[in-house]
Amino acid sequence: MSVLDGIAIVGVAETPIGKLPGRSAISLQAEAGVAAVAAAGLAKGDIDGVFSFSGYSQAMMLHAARVAEHLGLRPELAVVTDVGGPGTHHAALLNVAAAIDAGMCTTALCTYGENGISIRRSGRGRAPGTLTGGEDFEAPYGQIAMISGYALFAQRHMHLHGTTSEQLGAVAVASRYHASLNDNAHKREPITLADHQASPMISSPLRRLDCSLISDAGGAFVVTSIERARSLGVPYARVLGYGAAATHHIPSQAPDLHELGGPVAAARAFERAGLTVADADAVYIHDACTFSVVAGVEALGLCVDGEGGPYAESGALALGSECPVNLHGGMLSHGHAGGVFHLLDAVRQLQGTAGSRQVEGAEVVVAHGNGGVFSTFSTMVLGRGP
Amino acid sequence: MTGKPRPDLNDAATAPYWEAAARHELVLPRCNSCGLVFFPPRERCPGCWGGELSWQPMSGSGTLWTFTEVHVPFYDDTWAEDVPYVVAVVELDEGPRLLAGIVEPDMASLAIGDRVEVTFEDRPEGVTLPVFRVVE
Repeated sequence: MSVLDGIAIVGVAETPIGKLPGRSAISLQAEAGVAAVAAAGLAKGDIDGVFSFSGYSQAMMLHAARVAEHLGLRPELAVVTDVGGPGTHHAALLNVAAAIDAGMCTTALCTYGENGISIRRSGRGRAPGTLTGGEDFEAPYGQIAMISGYALFAQRHMHLHGTTSEQLGAVAVASRYHASLNDNAHKREPITLADHQASPMISSPLRRLDCSLISDAGGAFVVTSIERARSLGVPYARVLGYGAAATHHIPSQAPDLHELGGPVAAARAFERAGLTVADADAVYIHDACTFSVVAGVEALGLCVDGEGGPYAESGALALGSECPVNLHGGMLSHGHAGGVFHLLDAVRQLQGTAGSRQVEGAEVVVAHGNGGVFSTFSTMVLGRGP
Repeated sequence: MTGKPRPDLNDAATAPYWEAAARHELVLPRCNSCGLVFFPPRERCPGCWGGELSWQPMSGSGTLWTFTEVHVPFYDDTWAEDVPYVVAVVELDEGPRLLAGIVEPDMASLAIGDRVEVTFEDRPEGVTLPVFRVVE
């Protein structure tokens, strides 16, 4: 028995995604938050906990207190989590569960989002490389962007396992196909493998179409007790198993590919859920780049270690396959504002509200991925409630 | 243009590393208790938490563990005159891995597993960086 057994995700919402001039990160988070509360069939007065993260475009101290102030809330707890990638949202669920168990909260609003496009236009963006932890030993060499950190591992995977650029391209094409089914995706026009191969090199071996988007967007979810969720009469998602792993911070201190935390986090989550990846009806993998999905399908056990490239190339990622990946379009095509949208779409699949990308009768959906440059991993196995 | 990022030369735990680099020497901390040689430098051994450390000269030889060729200047024009440039992770023969540049890389042949040796780049912003070159 875990405190996580007692919680339900009852409402999710996201703002428009793309270039949203004049929008601050906090305004995007607030907009998503208000919509998520309404989606849960709740009202402002029902929210007595705030859990959030500022994101990096407008990084901020005490961010959850800002969200609470912005929305006129005075909760007992206003808590920030910054685990990196999906771990940030998953750890918020753990904190909410503990807060509900401790009697410190009954219904929590969790908000995320960034204005990565508009902040640059405002001239108030952060200095490059200032938040990565590599200020002393990596930034002076020009290792200032996350994507070139990912490129280091994509290159090594190609060296060790023969992974090809075309295989990475298959991830980009599948993501865009899913985004074409999603009215709210940032990039919806379909792409081909030839488009991927023709896109300019950004940081070898990663091309532009291997890179996640930068988007202005907000996303939010509402968590309450299973008992409250039942009384609300709304469809909800519940936690079946949660696992995580943290191995390093800066890229040079990472263990080798086969020792990264992904398989460990996934194994912990599945063991706690009493399930295997074969039970998953869909998975959502935090896709900072196409290679993240290759690493993710290996970590989750959808294919054997090193075979993520051929797995992607086989068509196994797309809607209609046994276990489709990133049905909302992922950060590669739907939008990137911190990565919360994977969790939101996993919940929609379990609520049965994913529209044309719905996996019929989805019972188990997994959200997985890393923060930093494969620094932290988090796996959340979600099930359909009630 | 605000200049390239430079390390904090006043951090007590790492200053000796940069002072050695300025002398064109590569030194890493070694734990007096358990013998671990580690990177980046810090005030305690990450292996045994021992606080008694010595600075050990490295051979300067290592192997290219991975690399990327960066083709676009990220964020602003700080690196505009440098692209394309190589960011690499080198595994020193003594064990630790560190991130560094590769000087005068031959991109047609650069490959993981290449043997490399340290050299030093004196930057105009007043810092010397250990970098590596491929050895035949």
